[in-house]
Amino acid sequence: MSSEIQNLGARRLRVLFEKIPLILFVGLLVWLSIQSPYFLSWENISRMLLQSVPLAILSFGLVCVIAAGGDDVVSGGIDLSLPAIAVFGVAILSLGLMEWQLSWPLLLLAVVIASLLCGGINALLVLIAGLPPLLATLSTSVAFTGITELLTGQRRISVNSPLMVDFRDGSLLGIPYALLYLALVFIAFQVLLHHSRFGQHLQAVGGGKDMAQMSGLNVPRLTLASWLIAAIAAALAVMPLLAQGSGSSSGTATPLLMEMVLATFLGGAFSRRRVVTIWGALLGAVLVNALSNGLALLGVNIFWMGAIKGVLILVVLAASALQHKGKS
Amino acid sequence: MNNEKTQRGLIMDRMSKRFAKVTALNAVTLTIKPGEIHGLIGENGAGKSTLIKILAGVYQADGGTASLDGVPIPLGKPAAIEAMGIRVIHQELNLIPHFTVAESVFLGQETTRSGGLLNRKSMRAAAQKFFLETWQINLNPDSLISQLSLAERKLVQIARALIDGAAKLVVFDEPTAPLEVHEASLVSDAILRLKQQGIAILYISHYLNEIASLCDAGTVLRNGEVVGYPDRATLQDTDAVIRMMVGRDIDKLFATREHSHIVTGNETPLLSVRALNDGQQLKDIHFSVRRGEIVGVAGLLGAGRDVLIDTLYGLHKAASGEIAIEGKVSRIRSPRQAIRAGMALVPRDRRHQGLVLPFSAADNINLASLPANATLGWEHRGRALDKARHWIERLSIRPAYPLIPVRHMSGGNQQKVILARWLGTDARLFILDEPTLGVDIGARSDIYECTRQLTEQGRSVLVSSSDATELLGLCDRILVMWRGALIADLPTAGLTLDMLLATINGGQEQAQ
Repeated sequence: MSSEIQNLGARRLRVLFEKIPLILFVGLLVWLSIQSPYFLSWENISRMLLQSVPLAILSFGLVCVIAAGGDDVVSGGIDLSLPAIAVFGVAILSLGLMEWQLSWPLLLLAVVIASLLCGGINALLVLIAGLPPLLATLSTSVAFTGITELLTGQRRISVNSPLMVDFRDGSLLGIPYALLYLALVFIAFQVLLHHSRFGQHLQAVGGGKDMAQMSGLNVPRLTLASWLIAAIAAALAVMPLLAQGSGSSSGTATPLLMEMVLATFLGGAFSRRRVVTIWGALLGAVLVNALSNGLALLGVNIFWMGAIKGVLILVVLAASALQHKGKS
Repeated sequence: MNNEKTQRGLIMDRMSKRFAKVTALNAVTLTIKPGEIHGLIGENGAGKSTLIKILAGVYQADGGTASLDGVPIPLGKPAAIEAMGIRVIHQELNLIPHFTVAESVFLGQETTRSGGLLNRKSMRAAAQKFFLETWQINLNPDSLISQLSLAERKLVQIARALIDGAAKLVVFDEPTAPLEVHEASLVSDAILRLKQQGIAILYISHYLNEIASLCDAGTVLRNGEVVGYPDRATLQDTDAVIRMMVGRDIDKLFATREHSHIVTGNETPLLSVRALNDGQQLKDIHFSVRRGEIVGVAGLLGAGRDVLIDTLYGLHKAASGEIAIEGKVSRIRSPRQAIRAGMALVPRDRRHQGLVLPFSAADNINLASLPANATLGWEHRGRALDKARHWIERLSIRPAYPLIPVRHMSGGNQQKVILARWLGTDARLFILDEPTLGVDIGARSDIYECTRQLTEQGRSVLVSSSDATELLGLCDRILVMWRGALIADLPTAGLTLDMLLATINGGQEQAQ
């Protein structure tokens, strides 16, 4: 009897620990809104939402890889190269528009093909060479960034194409185009991962490769698909990322990388199953941007911001790893 | 003959299967009528798994035919066999912890709407209806698998195989093995209800009491051949079934122990375990091991032998109870503390837990006694090598080169390397977990010899094994576990294999 009570206590403690990142986050946001009244103004909120568009879309891609690879932080699925792929796409678009004078459709096609190639390389490293995803995508991330800088020569390339300006500033019925775009991408990923057979099978593979195999699923094909879908997400993030920076500039990938991991794993805390979800990633992305925005409003030193986010990532990942340990 | 061919149900006619030179199945014939629960009985290695794998399409048979309701079974084609309505409920659960009940039941066979989207509502309703109608159990289809008991998970696994309503023959492979008594009865009741739907059931279990209460008929296999078809009345006589399983010739294989090295006298036992519980599987374990004694731990799969060994060695947390070594109560919470207390474990999974495979035999032998071969952390390689040579000679480890990586050695020799490692330390209690699993006959006798030598110096050995013959030949005393409890403590003097197996498989307590 007493052991049952003990177990119950231990479980409650674990649930509390799982919620720590969330509690910490909400606490920070509440504090920010008290410190700066402007923080919760309509103007600022809509700006924060706009800012989270590229991050949210990248996180959707990461969710797909984690769903199919398992959520073990070390050996499970993870794709750290997504921001690098997106930034690579931004460079192709910017150069194509400003220097190579190519047409939009051709360039968009080039971006999609380049992204799929990058995703394919990741999949090859993981599925054929058997590298852990963490290591494989860390390496490719460096390589893709290198190719980007080779193309751009580390210059900033400003883009003034009317289409991009429209995407950035235009709105329909008072809702900015970029947010409508996010809504569409969100629905597509939500349906794909959470309301389709295919998504169900992806999650089964992530839940246990052997079990999925025994249930008659084609595990290698599903895993490959998850990497390619993530690459598509990176391609979809190219346009909002281009609009946000009004062009291509070097060094955009690094901060996005950590924010993407933070947003995605933070999102897992919203789910009853304690797994990463598309919904969670969307909320996570908005929260992460709210944090950056709030700290900037308070005039917090940019280096301190890095340190604060670093600690938050540690807490979120530690909570996730601990929860994983509890499962097995 | 013709009359039989059109009979309904399963007919397997003279099935044979050979692996290289070993005959796994020799002309095995088996029939099951619709609505019959048929027990498949036999010791480990009797050919039960081979038969299931042929029936599941994993193996192609070398000879024989099989039919279901008069239609030939396309052997060797898993998908076609499943389409015929043959379903295998594997021993492993194969469920995903963060999926809901409905999702798990429909995994790989999801219901979709016209647009290709999942129809969750209909899957939830169908899953709930299935549990209610089949078993009168109201299971929330939205519960996560991780929230269910083991028995409920088993039911979900069964539901997954039966939800399409097309199942005609269901094979259950040890469905109750990891379950507690009341959970096991929940599962066997559930299986009994399937029989009323006219499904033919092949039931494989080591638990002979379950076979007796569930099965209408049975087939007993020994060394790949059918030795009998007991009817329902015969199945009730566990002793008769065991005699069929084991045969008479086996007692001669193993000479019983002639002399033991038990230090007699009224001394404190080397190991004494009192009221050990882990809050899950282990229930109130009491036993002791005297100096110089070899004590065996017997029990079916899932009886709790693994958990007991892990708890003693600090790999599994005990909730209550105490473990005393030479009368001194020790709290053992890690293998390091267990080693300090004087224990040494030779693990069941020696390739992963016991050896550093790329290291040489010498390095593996010296792994546990590094400080003894070193001064201030500097290893004296020469001294270490001499020591390794000594043990290689004494235990006749082959190949007899101390520098060869253990990866290249056979299972039996790898096991000897692990034994040599602990022989060189001052451990007093050796725990051997399945010491001869995957070891050939020749090396086995060497390992038994080593084990006996261990006790010459007043050290003690605890052997956990699924091989009853091995325990009978090696041990002074055998503890029998049954679903987490220790149900018998049998001295081997005068104990026959039949008596031991009756206790292990039947669960009845032996009068002492």
